[in-house]
Amino acid sequence: MTMVHVELISKERDRLLHRATRFMGITMTIVTFLGLSIPGIVDPTSFLAMGLLLVLLIVSLMRLGSNHAIVWVLLGLSSGIAVLVIAQLPFVTENREGLATVLIPLAGGTLAVFAMVLTHTVTRVVILCVAFGASLWLIFLIAGTGDILGFAVGTVLVGWAISTFAGVWITASIPRAARRIHSIGRAHRAERQASETEAQRRQSARLLHDTVLATLTLLAHSGVGVTASALRAQAGEDAQLLRQLRLGGSGNPQDLAPTSTGSVPITSPDDAILGTTLESVKQRFGRMGLEVSWHGTGQVLLPGDVLDAFLLALAECLENVRRHAGVTEAHVTITDDETTVRAMVTDSGIGFDVKDIDSARLGLKDSVIGRLGEVGGTARLFSSPGSGTTVVLEVPK
Amino acid sequence: MSGYGRPEENTLGTIIGKRGRPKPSSSPAARALRKASSGGASVGTGFLGVGAGIAAAIAVMGGLVLFASRFSTYPNVLPAAFAWLLLCLMLIIVGVIISIAGERMPPWLFAVFLVSLAVVIALDFIAIWPQHNIGAHATASVIASYGLLVAVTLRPAKEIFISLGVVGAVFVAAILLTTPLTRENLPAQLAIIAAALAPPSFATWLVVYFRKIVQRELDRVLVQSTVSAPRFAVGMMASEELARLDLAAEELFDSVASGRAKLPLDPKTASLAASLATELRLHLIEGRRETWLYHAITESEQLGKSVTLSDPSSLAGLLEPKQRDALLSSVWLLVTEKSQDRATVHVTLGPVSAAPRESHDNMVTVPIAIATTGVARNRVDPATWGYLAQLGAHTNSTENSSLRVEIDCEVANPADQYHAEQTVQR
Repeated sequence: MTMVHVELISKERDRLLHRATRFMGITMTIVTFLGLSIPGIVDPTSFLAMGLLLVLLIVSLMRLGSNHAIVWVLLGLSSGIAVLVIAQLPFVTENREGLATVLIPLAGGTLAVFAMVLTHTVTRVVILCVAFGASLWLIFLIAGTGDILGFAVGTVLVGWAISTFAGVWITASIPRAARRIHSIGRAHRAERQASETEAQRRQSARLLHDTVLATLTLLAHSGVGVTASALRAQAGEDAQLLRQLRLGGSGNPQDLAPTSTGSVPITSPDDAILGTTLESVKQRFGRMGLEVSWHGTGQVLLPGDVLDAFLLALAECLENVRRHAGVTEAHVTITDDETTVRAMVTDSGIGFDVKDIDSARLGLKDSVIGRLGEVGGTARLFSSPGSGTTVVLEVPK
Repeated sequence: MSGYGRPEENTLGTIIGKRGRPKPSSSPAARALRKASSGGASVGTGFLGVGAGIAAAIAVMGGLVLFASRFSTYPNVLPAAFAWLLLCLMLIIVGVIISIAGERMPPWLFAVFLVSLAVVIALDFIAIWPQHNIGAHATASVIASYGLLVAVTLRPAKEIFISLGVVGAVFVAAILLTTPLTRENLPAQLAIIAAALAPPSFATWLVVYFRKIVQRELDRVLVQSTVSAPRFAVGMMASEELARLDLAAEELFDSVASGRAKLPLDPKTASLAASLATELRLHLIEGRRETWLYHAITESEQLGKSVTLSDPSSLAGLLEPKQRDALLSSVWLLVTEKSQDRATVHVTLGPVSAAPRESHDNMVTVPIAIATTGVARNRVDPATWGYLAQLGAHTNSTENSSLRVEIDCEVANPADQYHAEQTVQR
């Protein structure tokens, strides 16, 4: 447990005990006041003096609730005991028994609840003992029955016992709860880290989510423009990928696609061969009615994040062809040199005037230029109405 | 169609619609508390409940002594003796059942307990009825309400308060019916009602307050786990949400692939697919952009309702764990210190000034402004200043009679950090 935590806990404990003392003390003082105001209990002069002392007691309790200084404890206890001292004077009342009864809430209630804030240092325990002894002795004098175990004395005794016990017990409860909270907090931190890792894993499976999103979009349009069997196959493949992701795989399509070339990347486990994944992109578009012809090298090794970005951008370009070009065929040419891998996506569709079309509208800005930019790549777009479109994508090796 | 449910409206919840608070029922603190209290009593109140039981036992012993001292005054002592016997037996039986059943009190047990307490009160009143002075002679009936202490941590406070209210009404009715009120016997009636009702009510109030403290501390501890988060994090809720969306998509695809969902899809399923796609897209784009501070505020019940944040450049992510802890702690103290007042805090990070003061190499100064409402400068917890000092050089002022603090927080320059990482990698 950190220091900060211990400090906070003792602060909470003090606040709880002091607020409880204030609340209970004021309630019991009001009950006492009601009792004293029954006609015939005390003579008017004594009533006035006692009333003023009770007001002082309430003020002390109010202050004690917000400012935990011992001075308010002492002032409160003194004014309460002063009420009892006045009450035991012989001329105050004819009705001794009645007066003792109405002062039980004061001696065994208001004064006793101060015990809750008087248990945790030696000085405070001494104050507690003195106040307890005074309350008990004074209520014995007030009752005037000479009966040591009379009703009033017994009740005040029980009041102090319960109150002191409550103080000790609550003082012990708070650190226990704090330890429990602390261990829950530790478990939660571990849970947060695990959930963060899990979310990162899911988010970084961007290629997977890209095809999932494409398939969901197709389904949202009730699969218009795609044959039912193709859509079923696509959904089945994506479900399998998602299952793989859920069960702990990376969720990248290359994990599942058969390695058509049979070659395994050996330079680094993070690198993956472009060719195998290109094949799965090609199959996907094939099912959705766009024949992708693929030229050039397929044996390019790329770091995982670059490959993801490259494929996402490529898929996005092909999706644009499928949606807007009005043709069923597209060509992808992959070339590479020492530093760069380049893909040229060409179609002979309707084309458009580059100046007329805002690049953001084609989704190029975020999905292509943005994604490539993250890994240090670029994209360039060439088109004019009637003569098709060419997009050149470049990423560093 | 199979088990996937339509996602709730606006599952980013808090994030897309109102950039505000999560539903309290689903906040991590509430969930952790539920988890921790699944065994009956909630965190720490189990021990408190044992204490309440002991307090009840002290009261019973006091009452028994009183009863013994009055033994000879009863016209017919038998009903009162039975009342005491029943009370003691019930307290022992219920205590044993609670400890065996693992600190829980099912409604039936509480009902049986209440009925037996009612019988105790009735028997005691029957015994003292002929004496026409409830206040001077009641014993078991007074201590019966202390029996409720046994249930105080295991049943909702409302139930205890209602029970005490009924006890109070019964006492008033019995006093009015049996006791011709005079100046002489009025004090005793007042004292007996206070003795029967006040201590159990206080105990219930204490338990409610204690639970509140535990809830708040738990909230704080849970939120504190954000200080070790990476610069950008998705947060607990978003990551669960993403997993849920993935699963929903998987189930939808499965049912399409297996032919359970006929193609073309019916409009309902199609719109489900559309909403899944929308939410998934939002999660994938949105998720990474939020800082630990944003998550701390949205995940916390305490901070969520009183703290707002503007951090357009996500500068909070640059703070080191120690600085994060200091910022969180000072904000926490500002909004919780005067819990009854409606204090609010607005935290602004940035913008980083164009010409940064080159105090240290590789350091950049992030200005943090903490504007408050309803926080008087002289009521601020002194520990707050300690945390602010840990955060950096700060100045404070009063604006609209509420505190405003400006801090220059020095953090490692992210650009330099990036270069350093690059260098290490090469």
